[in-house]
Amino acid sequence: MDPVQAAPGVYEGVANVIAAVMLVIEFGMLRQALARDQIRLYVAQSALISVLAIVIAADRNLPDLYALAALSAALKVVAVPLVMRRLLGRSVPDDGDEAPGVSGSQTLSPATAVLAGIVLAAIGFFCFGALKIHGPAAPALALALAAAMMLVAFGLMIVRRDVASQAIGFFSLENSISLAALVVAAGLPLILETAFLFDLLVAVVVFGMLIRVQHGRSESLSTSDLTRLRG
Amino acid sequence: MSAALPIPLIQLLQVLTVAVGAPGVTGVIAKVEARLQGRRGPRVLQPYYDLGKLFRKEALAPEGASWFFLAAPVIAVTAYLTIPLLIPVLTSYPLPLGYMGDILGGGFLLSLASFVVATAALETGDPYAQLGSSRAKTFSAITEPVVLFVVFTVALLTGTDLPYALAATVRSSAGQIVRPAHLLASAALFMVILAETGRIPVETHTGTNEFGMIEEARSFEHSGPYLALLRWGSELKQLILFTILADVFLAPWGLASTQRLGAVLLAIAALLAKACAVGCVVAIVDNSFAKLRLFKITEFVSGAFLLAVLGVFTLYLGGG
Repeated sequence: MDPVQAAPGVYEGVANVIAAVMLVIEFGMLRQALARDQIRLYVAQSALISVLAIVIAADRNLPDLYALAALSAALKVVAVPLVMRRLLGRSVPDDGDEAPGVSGSQTLSPATAVLAGIVLAAIGFFCFGALKIHGPAAPALALALAAAMMLVAFGLMIVRRDVASQAIGFFSLENSISLAALVVAAGLPLILETAFLFDLLVAVVVFGMLIRVQHGRSESLSTSDLTRLRG
Repeated sequence: MSAALPIPLIQLLQVLTVAVGAPGVTGVIAKVEARLQGRRGPRVLQPYYDLGKLFRKEALAPEGASWFFLAAPVIAVTAYLTIPLLIPVLTSYPLPLGYMGDILGGGFLLSLASFVVATAALETGDPYAQLGSSRAKTFSAITEPVVLFVVFTVALLTGTDLPYALAATVRSSAGQIVRPAHLLASAALFMVILAETGRIPVETHTGTNEFGMIEEARSFEHSGPYLALLRWGSELKQLILFTILADVFLAPWGLASTQRLGAVLLAIAALLAKACAVGCVVAIVDNSFAKLRLFKITEFVSGAFLLAVLGVFTLYLGGG
């Protein structure tokens, strides 16, 4: 391969950088110990996807995407974090600032988790890169970054042993799918995009139930209590 | 207008700018840091006075230390003063000796300097100096892969690993600046610089607590002019790394494109201003984070490694 590569242009560059920062934030969630900080990172990631939608809308002249950006920001930057914070706040016994069972739920040390995440990201990257899908709106690299993010989010759900982190992992998985949808099909009808967003609401409700049931049963959010079968 | 300077003189000026400017940049960082903490802080020129004082003092060596103990600071400073010949300090066009070595060549010189200082610290038999050199070598071994991946990114971007070529590539278009590979590699390099210059979150720069020391502990047994050389050497290393970050990666503007005196003087001012700007960012980082526990440093470096590896990944998919 020719080592010298032409720069892909400012618009592609900005879109790719936003996607890359979202992937880096995903890694941040992977190693972040506290659920509170994970929610903050989720907010940042969700805000970035709205920014990306605005960038694509401005450059490719797709006014629908402005509405999508506003909707997605209202839902993911404001509503979901609010619900998550309230749920986690309710499961804190008294004046403790962290829900029990969340911190220290990593099964791998942070450095190992990052290395495992790099391997996952590499798999996502090169598999999707090999597909050579070129969307009309954003470059193929952003799609590969979305695939890498998806796998890292799966990894996050696997290596953490508490319901709160797993919920955050699932929501960021939805972020990566939104990113992929933006890249591949920016001109998707708004109604479909909105339907995807409302899927997220269903997930929030389900995870909310899960968190409350789990906390009500075992006074902890850790899933390590679930390994034993109960009669 | 102003006269054109001969090329060898410009080359000499590159070395002199780094040699004379380095303590000043340290002084500015110390001042900014103190201001951020609500103190008045030392004068900006304080590092020069410190060096002057140390150069006038007598030198002592521990019993049983060989000639290498005294030669090491000299070798280290020589290595540091060779690097400004290889990197773009003042000019955007390569100077004749600029092709003497590439980025790896500069990296080897930095490692050589750090190696001789560590070896000299081992000569002393002082437990703290030995602890410092052992830690410095351990952590430089784990930051090495990050540096390698940054070099790979540069190589994939430009087809060479010459610092001048990357600076020219970055200048060539706005698309080159916003591409993720470039930004990720720059961020990784910045994290490595924090580690290499002994800044928070890796090491407290001003502390006197030996247990947290890494690089600082190595010079415990040196005194007088030799200690001055070691101090000056670490200030040189800091300015060299800042120069690489600013003139090669982040802001390769303001360099002289001609041999005119005015352009070269402007480039000197621009370089020092850029180094002080990087220094201000470092001071802010210093004041906003806590020092990591020694065993957490690997996590910090793994973050830098992640950025560098992602940079290379994005390039392999083309267009990154």
